[in-house]
Amino acid sequence: MDPQLTSVIVPAEEVAQIEECLAHLVEDTQGNHALLLDKSGQVIASQGDSSRQDVTALGALIAGTFASSREVAKLLREKDFRMLFQQGVRENIFIALIDEQWILCIIFNKGTHIGLVKVLTKKATDELSGVLDRVRQQHRARDDVLGSSFRTSMEDTIDLLFRD
Amino acid sequence: MALINVAAREIHCKIVYYGPGMGGKTSNLQYIHSAVPKEVKGDLLSIATETERTLFFDFLPLDLGKVRGFQTRFHLYTVPGQVLYERTRVAVLNGADGVVFVADAQKHKLEENIKSLKELAHNVTKMNKNFREFPIVLQYNKSDLPNRLPTEKLDAFLNPPALNLHWQRYEAVANRGDGVFDTLKAISRLVISKL
Repeated sequence: MDPQLTSVIVPAEEVAQIEECLAHLVEDTQGNHALLLDKSGQVIASQGDSSRQDVTALGALIAGTFASSREVAKLLREKDFRMLFQQGVRENIFIALIDEQWILCIIFNKGTHIGLVKVLTKKATDELSGVLDRVRQQHRARDDVLGSSFRTSMEDTIDLLFRD
Repeated sequence: MALINVAAREIHCKIVYYGPGMGGKTSNLQYIHSAVPKEVKGDLLSIATETERTLFFDFLPLDLGKVRGFQTRFHLYTVPGQVLYERTRVAVLNGADGVVFVADAQKHKLEENIKSLKELAHNVTKMNKNFREFPIVLQYNKSDLPNRLPTEKLDAFLNPPALNLHWQRYEAVANRGDGVFDTLKAISRLVISKL
């Protein structure tokens, strides 16, 4: 099968490490929220303000912003923009790319200096890059994770929910 | 690529609706949003121009609930169809697990359909994916209009037997929901089969 079509499986141990890393980033920057996204916009892990209900939409939009900025970069003959900063009146968002595949995003308010966020995000991206390497290297078969009857059950669910 | 989070026991898949401008991609998502049970759907998010044309994308998260212990989520996106927005389409297509190609069945749209499908092939290949293996379902939308092309003719140009792709294809009238769920079911099953 086309290797690009195989799923990315993030094992429990790696998810725990990612969450710990995000929690440290939020704590050290006194930020409000940190997210790790796949470049397709899917949220891998999220830490911080637990009342946030819009994490899924946030993931899709941030990944869209990043993908769009990459196309802008290409027009400027840059490979991509490694970091993006969006400044609001109350909250700011700092976004950094990890190894072309993941996007780290931290939301913080005006009480936190952007310089501190940059430095600590760099530290976090180095750490997460190591985790991502381990995720890439592990080769667990889909059936080991999902079970062989997953597909049949999934098809039944699709038939049940996707109808007029 | 689909993402399987073992700790949270979650599976995420991304499906993109692609095709020429004004073809009915957004109508597909709007109909799905209006018809699926409310516990399944999230908010439909649209980044549109003032005239309601898609500017960046529409986004509809669907939560299928637990399947064999895994919370399964499908994220549906549309791309803006106008020729001008090719770079935006590349951005949205990033990481897609499957594509619904929404063709406009009207006679005068044939050339736009062909151009858009060629562009899709180019963009999928540029993402280092094998276009022949990539999950694609065709939808011939606006099939109720009198000036539509016959299915066989659309097949001949968009799904030619000589290319041996044999994509599944569905006739649709997206704004009233005909064929919308058949298409969604087909692409979902195809994506799941490739997990």
